[in-house]
Amino acid sequence: MPSADLIEVRGLKSFYRGRQVLFDVTFGIPSHQVTVIMGASGCGKTTLLRHLIGLKCTGQGQILVDGEDLGSFSEGLLKSYRRRIGVLFQGGALFNSMSLRENIAVPLKVHTKLADETIRIMTVMKLNMVGLSDFSEFMPSQLSGGMRKRAGLARALAMDPEILFVDEPSSGLDPITAAGLDRLLLDLRETLGMTVVVVTHELESAFKIADRIVMMDKGRVMALGAPDEVRRSTDERVLQFLNREADTHMINIDSYYESLLDKE
Amino acid sequence: MVQLIRSLGAYGMREILSVGRMGIFFLYTMRGMFVAPGKFWPVVKHIEFIGTKSIFVIGFTAAFSGMVLGLQGYYTLSKFASEGLLGSAVALTLIRELGPVLTALMVSGRAGSAITAEIGIMRIEEQIDALDCMAIDPYAYMITPRFIACLIALPLLTAFCDVVGIFGGYAIGVDLLGVSAGAFWDGVYSSVVWKDVYMGIIKSAVFSVLIIWICTYKGFYSGVDEGSFGPEQVSRATTDAVVISSISILVSDYIITSIML
Repeated sequence: MPSADLIEVRGLKSFYRGRQVLFDVTFGIPSHQVTVIMGASGCGKTTLLRHLIGLKCTGQGQILVDGEDLGSFSEGLLKSYRRRIGVLFQGGALFNSMSLRENIAVPLKVHTKLADETIRIMTVMKLNMVGLSDFSEFMPSQLSGGMRKRAGLARALAMDPEILFVDEPSSGLDPITAAGLDRLLLDLRETLGMTVVVVTHELESAFKIADRIVMMDKGRVMALGAPDEVRRSTDERVLQFLNREADTHMINIDSYYESLLDKE
Repeated sequence: MVQLIRSLGAYGMREILSVGRMGIFFLYTMRGMFVAPGKFWPVVKHIEFIGTKSIFVIGFTAAFSGMVLGLQGYYTLSKFASEGLLGSAVALTLIRELGPVLTALMVSGRAGSAITAEIGIMRIEEQIDALDCMAIDPYAYMITPRFIACLIALPLLTAFCDVVGIFGGYAIGVDLLGVSAGAFWDGVYSSVVWKDVYMGIIKSAVFSVLIIWICTYKGFYSGVDEGSFGPEQVSRATTDAVVISSISILVSDYIITSIML
């Protein structure tokens, strides 16, 4: 399904406590497709996601949403953008003091004037989508990690967002539940035309759902394209990641001793 | 030496930034009073937590403080053969000073610390980020209802503390030590004027703003300065919140008293 880029990341640099974590990251997120941002742990995937959802300021570089720079958005524009997106955080980020039903009802109660009964029906529908309709009155602390994640996804879908950002959807899930979640993300793209951005390091899941893959390494985009293009890459690091090979670089003994003695 | 100056400079900058951030936090919270979402039920819920659930501990503290005042006051006044003034001494001390201060300290320790911990956990579990991403103003949603609830609950708790404390003083002075009941109540009626009551109300209103401002701020920004979010940051924020709010209560008590006397 050919489509224009809904979000464009141009030359994005990001710093954390003086240390650079993203280096000139440039890529596009096409609309109505599933884009997977993948890479090893600590490569800057989640930092990039926080930039994309407007939780981290874009100091250098640009993130263009419909051609407008996210970094220059006023508070009102940023709110409008956030009403178009749904976000599933790594741990689910459910409100501990509320039941699942109440969690999912939060955005509906704040942003709509729907009757309580309508909101109740909608929350049951969303929980049904993620297979948790029998747990609507459970508190988050009474659920497993995987169930919390699925409930978080139901809340992210509560307002039927145009763009869905998902951080590590399959990590910690059993293969059957993970496959179900992958199927759900594909269904959302196919039936609702949702733009889905997934951050993951799960190879199997990534290649199964992705229309476009952004592979990152040490804060840089290492490979970019359709899953087949990434698979055909001859880049050493890409191959190492795809073939699940451990790092074998040797430690320079002199620099190691220096680092031990360095007081700074 | 250079390192020392650098560290002092960095500390100073951090504190100045923190003060600025606290001011902005307060303004956003005030703005939250005029924007959605609806706050009636959340405010009621927080009044129950801050107010209703503090009644027992406040009543207990007030009763024993009043009893100690009765005891100490009686032995001091009896040296001047002025036991009849016990009612005045107990009532004035409680209404003007002890009632507002004790209530504020107890609420800060009981409810304030819990509020900081709850908001701190919301911070480390990305629940505040989730609110942001749902285009929900976290100040209006989380902080403002607690602010309103504390502003309502603390003066009421203070009044409750004053009444229980006076009865505690009465129980010791009249029932135990034999002061005339008529003299006790006459002392209360004749010495307490509206200005004393206003002073107590103003103090408790100021204390409630200080407690809730400091406790919610500390929870909201727990771990933000360190750049790491974990239980240690929440526990530190909780301790800081209780210590700073207790000190602020005592300092502001002196300032208000010196202005209003």
